[in-house]
Amino acid sequence: MSDEKMQSDCYDPAKVTPALQLDVEQFYYREARLLDNRQYQTWLALCSESIHYVMPARTNPLVDNSERGNESMISIERELEGADSTGTPIRNETYPYLMLRVERSFKPNAWAENPPARTRRIVGNIEILDVQDEQLSVTSAFHLNYSRPGSDNFLYAGQRRDVLLRGEDGYKILDRVIIMDVAEIMLPTLGLFL
Amino acid sequence: MPINIADVVNDDATLISRRAWSDPEIYELEKRGIFAKAWLFLAHESQIRESGDFVQAYMGETPIIVSRGPDGAVYANINSCSHRGLPVCRSDHGNTTKFVCPYHNWNYDVTGKLVAIPQERHVKGRPDKGKLGLKAVPRVESWNGMVFGSFDPEVESLDDYLGDMRFYLDAFFARFPQGIEFYGAPQRWKINANWKLPVENQLGDVNHGPFLHAAVIPPEANTEVFELGLSVVPKPGHGATFRLMPEDAPVESVAWGFEGLATLLGGAEVQDYLREIQARAKERVGPLRSRMKGLTYGVYPNLSFLWSNTAFKVSHPRGPGQVEYWSWSVVPADAPDDFKKIMRGNHTAFFGPGGILEQEDSEAWVQQFQGSKIDYAEDRPYFYGLGLGEEQERSDMPGLVSVTANEFYARHFFSRWRSALEAAQG
Repeated sequence: MSDEKMQSDCYDPAKVTPALQLDVEQFYYREARLLDNRQYQTWLALCSESIHYVMPARTNPLVDNSERGNESMISIERELEGADSTGTPIRNETYPYLMLRVERSFKPNAWAENPPARTRRIVGNIEILDVQDEQLSVTSAFHLNYSRPGSDNFLYAGQRRDVLLRGEDGYKILDRVIIMDVAEIMLPTLGLFL
Repeated sequence: MPINIADVVNDDATLISRRAWSDPEIYELEKRGIFAKAWLFLAHESQIRESGDFVQAYMGETPIIVSRGPDGAVYANINSCSHRGLPVCRSDHGNTTKFVCPYHNWNYDVTGKLVAIPQERHVKGRPDKGKLGLKAVPRVESWNGMVFGSFDPEVESLDDYLGDMRFYLDAFFARFPQGIEFYGAPQRWKINANWKLPVENQLGDVNHGPFLHAAVIPPEANTEVFELGLSVVPKPGHGATFRLMPEDAPVESVAWGFEGLATLLGGAEVQDYLREIQARAKERVGPLRSRMKGLTYGVYPNLSFLWSNTAFKVSHPRGPGQVEYWSWSVVPADAPDDFKKIMRGNHTAFFGPGGILEQEDSEAWVQQFQGSKIDYAEDRPYFYGLGLGEEQERSDMPGLVSVTANEFYARHFFSRWRSALEAAQG
């Protein structure tokens, strides 16, 4: 999603009706419930087979003095090393990778998840930024509590920038970019479904 | 009473006390005996090509700025102001002409020289700026673009330090017409485990694969490791593991890159590129090394190389109970940029903080660290005796060679570790 779209801060009431907002919110609530219930196979069906699933790395760039005084000086975008960057995103995956992760989750020798973690996520700030034909650009925020036996409890926080594809059987996730709000990664894994 | 290190590692290093991974006193000895003495990996020259380019690094827990000076030389300085000790650089990487301390704006150039003290015009005396630069790492040397530093001015040359490890590293680097490059900044994350646990895992412990990673790694890949796998200790503390493929093996089963899902899904052009590299491997690295299909490597004390998923890693200690793990994607320097982006995926999907395989490894290291600090088990040191004495010399490759199940790589590491800690005790 472009920087420009992210910064346009008014929705278009002609495109984003209360009914559409409700529909999209219900999609995200259901998604959160499936993930926290560990119904990953059912969740995978919400992903388009053309999904691009990216978690950019988040670095500390040099301040550009020429941008002093402008919002762009400390924009989040400058910190992100995503799929198109010459850095190394934390995750940059397509459907087969997600399939592999789902498959792994249901094997008893996936030791990092045996016993499995307890998660609970609150998804909010669901904003439909744009609607183009059957594609919706949606951002949302999440807080997720992660607790694994024998370990501490961890708070995961971040933003999702999605493109949803509207079809006969509901919405599918076509693009997902996950912006993790962590400066130092001290979380046990970023391999979970976010 | 100082610790008797011979009680921690026995004479043939087949028994190692759990304290080796958890005792704060041992960690203090490691700082003096290892991190103050050894060559430590800092950066790859591909990360700092232009004058003013810099990246951050660590030597143990000490933050280092590695930069390219206007004279083209590589500089490594401690990232701490000579005035009050604040870091003078807060960015992970970038290009600059100066580093400025936020507290009183002391200014240093990219080579670490102090160029300005804003307050000095208000006082009569003039401090000698020549003596107040950032503290330089006393020894900095490169081999094949890999930049190392040492705090010991008397340390042997980097070439001698690496020794025959170069033969095995070159089996990878020299495969590519222009060598390799590090693709951007490393992934970095913290794990509640001792720094030696990731090191040992990569140094030669490929035998955990079929067990810890059984949920993901197919059985046939493990069969190949057992049947064709070799473990080599070119010099105590270093290690290399690889499969020596048969001479008539099909190109795809030998070529670097065909084990990665990203390149398999990456399309015919990337695969043709990988085939072409392998087709010319014999002329570039010779007949023996062209058949090497690498697994994992270790360079003493804390640099690792994961050939199959192409990452260089450093295990930075953060006290005895935490490690900050850095992991860089490594790609052939000559490849087109879109190929490089595809190839880095072989690293990121399976390793790093979100890696499909690495999550199991992290779990094992955290659990081993927990097991290393429990009470009432002092009389049950860890057993490192598998394959004792079974390693042998071979005429066609340097070092001691054995099957991968032989734990001699770890025995050699811990024997060297024991000597280093005993030397630190004086």
